[in-house]
Amino acid sequence: MAHENVVMAVRKVDDKTAAVDIRGELTAFAEDELMSAYHQAVGDGAQAVVLNFSELDYMTSSGIGLLVTLFIRANREGTQLYAVGLNPHYQRIFALTRLNETIRVFETEEEAVRVRE
Amino acid sequence: MDTGDPSTQQDGQKGWQTLAVFSLPSLAGNERQAMVLVEQAVDPLCLPVEKLDRLKTAVAEATMNAIEHGNRHQADLPVTICVLTEGNRMSVEITDYGTCGPIPAPETPDVEAKLDGRQTSRGWGFFLIEKMVDALEIHGDEAHHTIKLYLYLEGRADQDLADCSGSHE
Repeated sequence: MAHENVVMAVRKVDDKTAAVDIRGELTAFAEDELMSAYHQAVGDGAQAVVLNFSELDYMTSSGIGLLVTLFIRANREGTQLYAVGLNPHYQRIFALTRLNETIRVFETEEEAVRVRE
Repeated sequence: MDTGDPSTQQDGQKGWQTLAVFSLPSLAGNERQAMVLVEQAVDPLCLPVEKLDRLKTAVAEATMNAIEHGNRHQADLPVTICVLTEGNRMSVEITDYGTCGPIPAPETPDVEAKLDGRQTSRGWGFFLIEKMVDALEIHGDEAHHTIKLYLYLEGRADQDLADCSGSHE
């Protein structure tokens, strides 16, 4: 049986913003890691969470489903979600799925933080 | 196209050449192996990165569907993958042992419906496959399901192929 092959590191960006560095594969097996990272981020007081995909190896349709689930949770809690570091292929997938209409996509973390301010 | 590769052989379909055929056990995560093997098989075709990324995503999603829905995670049932090329196009055929009869048209995912709970947050797989390839066909009989993914190889001149051999590593 496959297992999660992902590491998520939570960083504080500023008083109201945290970043989650996603390293590895975003598949169905990453659910616990992703939700745990999100809860750690908002638990530390963040009102916005930047998902950093610059070290993403691979994302499946199940990973997209996880992001939808995460957005629903974040939206309910009034937390903003941003995506940065997506390569052109995954930017295209965000656009095709219209995920970019719910999770705003930026090239860099600095851009996301600037817009948040 | 004759790549000169001894593993290349004439396929049963007129004009199609088989670049690779392999089978994988129906274990979760084996779609990664399928992606790697298909990427190796199409290396002589020198696909642009953008097209190769689309192919890999489509292959991974179709293989996951075959493992999960066709073979229902029964490891002893293989997923068979055949990579072919003909003229200015290529195809990947992914076959499983699904015996569910006619394949129903999948629900088109709608992100708004997913956000307000009218659709499950999952269910993006077939949508992604459709968007990644230039064409697809689905065939089913009483013993198998096969999905055929097609991509066009634009600008695939012999010179391009020669050029790519040194820059595609």
